[in-house]
Amino acid sequence: MTTQLTAGRTGEHPLAGARMTGADIVVQVLADEGVDTIFGYSGGAILPTYDAVFRYNDANRRPDGTPRIPLIVPANEQGAGFMAAGYARASGKVGVVMVTSGPGATNTVTPVRDCMADSVPIVVICGQVPRHAIGTDAFQEAPVSAIMGAVAKHVFLVTNPSALEATVRSAFELARTGRPGPVVIDIPKDVQNWEGRFAGAGALPLTGYRARLRAVMDNRLTDESCRRLYEMLAGSERPLIYAGGGVINGNATTALRNFADAYGIPVATTLMALGASDTTHPLSLHMLGMHGMAFANYAVEDCDMLIAVGARFDDRVAGDPARFAPKVRYIAHFDVDVSEVGKVKAVTWHHVGILSRDLDDLLAYGRRVGFRKQLETWHREIAGLKERHRLNYDRESRLIQPCAVIEEINRIAKGEAIIATGVGQHQMWAAQYFDFREPRLWLTSGSMGTMGFGLPAAIGAQFARRDRVVIDIDGDGSMRMNLGELETATTYGLPVKVVVLNNFGDGMVRQWQKLYYKGRLSGSDKSLHRKDFVRAAEADGFEFAKRLDRKEDLERVIGEFMRFPGPAFLEVIIDPDAGVYPMVGPGQSYDKMITGDFIRSRERPPDETPGPSQMF
Amino acid sequence: MRHVIAVLLQNEVGALTRMTGLFSTRGYNIDSLNVAPTDDPAVSRVTLVIEGSDAAIAQLNTQLAKLVDVVNIHDMTLGEHFERELAIVKLKLAPGGYEQVLRLAADFGAEILDDAENSCTIQLTGGLAKVDAFVRDAARIGTLAAVARSGSVAVSKGEVTLSSYARVHRLSG
Repeated sequence: MTTQLTAGRTGEHPLAGARMTGADIVVQVLADEGVDTIFGYSGGAILPTYDAVFRYNDANRRPDGTPRIPLIVPANEQGAGFMAAGYARASGKVGVVMVTSGPGATNTVTPVRDCMADSVPIVVICGQVPRHAIGTDAFQEAPVSAIMGAVAKHVFLVTNPSALEATVRSAFELARTGRPGPVVIDIPKDVQNWEGRFAGAGALPLTGYRARLRAVMDNRLTDESCRRLYEMLAGSERPLIYAGGGVINGNATTALRNFADAYGIPVATTLMALGASDTTHPLSLHMLGMHGMAFANYAVEDCDMLIAVGARFDDRVAGDPARFAPKVRYIAHFDVDVSEVGKVKAVTWHHVGILSRDLDDLLAYGRRVGFRKQLETWHREIAGLKERHRLNYDRESRLIQPCAVIEEINRIAKGEAIIATGVGQHQMWAAQYFDFREPRLWLTSGSMGTMGFGLPAAIGAQFARRDRVVIDIDGDGSMRMNLGELETATTYGLPVKVVVLNNFGDGMVRQWQKLYYKGRLSGSDKSLHRKDFVRAAEADGFEFAKRLDRKEDLERVIGEFMRFPGPAFLEVIIDPDAGVYPMVGPGQSYDKMITGDFIRSRERPPDETPGPSQMF
Repeated sequence: MRHVIAVLLQNEVGALTRMTGLFSTRGYNIDSLNVAPTDDPAVSRVTLVIEGSDAAIAQLNTQLAKLVDVVNIHDMTLGEHFERELAIVKLKLAPGGYEQVLRLAADFGAEILDDAENSCTIQLTGGLAKVDAFVRDAARIGTLAAVARSGSVAVSKGEVTLSSYARVHRLSG
């Protein structure tokens, strides 16, 4: 969708018919696909293709002398995977990873599963031992197609070299079409060294996949479907749009905003969809769910019609599906993936298709029939909820509050910076206290919840968006997971800003242990750990590396940090007891939401504890 | 309830693993599984038998339809269909047992493939209940030395062969 064969439009590929090695074919197809960055780590079984990248770049320099397809080398292949994911999330283009066989490939399993769970398009090219050695327990051999088959959108093991070219091209098509996802290509070393004819065009038949994709793409909204939806909307006094990650992945933000604005329908987004609506808009309810805004969750409690767009009623949103949005009379669901329709909660109306097109069609129908909607009462209620139940925290505390740190960064970033995070409390504080005025500014591991995601994702995003400020908000636990990538940021001179909110432990785990395990901090306390993050950053070449531990310095130090032109590292010693509120307990309904000491609740806090297996 | 699902699967490396893996990933056991070539050398036909509620199996089928290797899927149980299984049973016989084998074979319409002195091999084709009954009765007249069953294969009755994706997985509603 985003890239085309450059030569394909005018006719035959200029290199069609040329004799090439498999490795050269791989690199040529990458170039044809418009790949401008490869994230990867070399090794024995991928050497031929690394050599081909080197030769390609040597022969095809940009006018300024820089390579056309730079190879970005992380500290660990997991870093490469998350860099490609960050690149893809920030740009909407397919991220590319190139690693060797065995450990190189298995180190990318986590990012591949992460991309699958969050529908992020990447292509992972793995070297494999030569065909004759497969299955012999050879050096650096791993059953990549079996391992990845369970976690990726698709995996190819290229056993027939003449299918290599079409396979690489098809991998990109699979990654970016339909519901996007990760595709793995496992290429034996002898296939990389094979020599054959480059066709310059052609893809695998993918008969079933293409037929199903075609069915979805051809599935336009009918007038009758539109009429039914508008009839429900006409009968609704409190409609609410529940937007999910599909809106971002499907580039449907504009269409969604146009539809919502046309009728004044408030929008609550999931964690994955932050930026789908401009969070500073009066009818934006920011995020709903387990740690969503209290006002968003109350609006879900109050609404009588839910329009789910690219959202999947995940357990972090609908912990108790039966009691989720208890007053709704109608649920309408737009998605690109039919398996999400009715998976968790039955819906009244659904349409599987291309989100941006379908929302445009829906609005066009509404305009054609002159549909009008008066929602002043609902708007007044929404404004009241936003005022009464706004976010807040302990502003009088002598300790630095994490939310204050994010508020201050947000004041400077103005909802226009790219924010990456690890996983845990800091992730939720960032989701809550940052504004997001546009899509693709928020990079977080939503479904898999992979600690260590933030730093490599920020690095990848900075490669995709040189024009943007990129900030990694991390926790001390998440930072430790991929600490090695600090050096990657300085090696490539990337002006990423890294914030570690240090509460000396795994804060979210501690929060749950305090709530559900009588405060037994099993394995989550790190107050005796000796890590000096600032010195670690300095050792990795950060010229700006500071520790903020006095509340009175907050504004000044954050100002300096944000103004610094190069890679910058800031450790903030935060109140170790700060919790994430609001919180809807796992498996619970929104009426049991705990709002903490600083956010006004409209219900009494709950006193029931879920059973230990319901909590995950 | 019991579902018989026919899947046309592309003959790609690992395709069968990816397909069967999906069942364990989603918490289901496969009761029987049959895989064989079709007239198209690029495509195999897989027949699965699986227990689950209609809603759960419908969800599983939409997940199956997301696998790139899957060409088409049809849940035979949604309509009328023919379901057959082949069984080959080897029996160790006590002296005089052969007479009983002849009767058993006649009763079930089974074919005796091999009759040695004190063992014999019998082949039967039929529906699931018939094959179950045959194996049970065979065990009464001798010792079962081998029970080889193909697992169910099925085709739908009437003209429809495999389903249209858009129709079965309702894309709008």
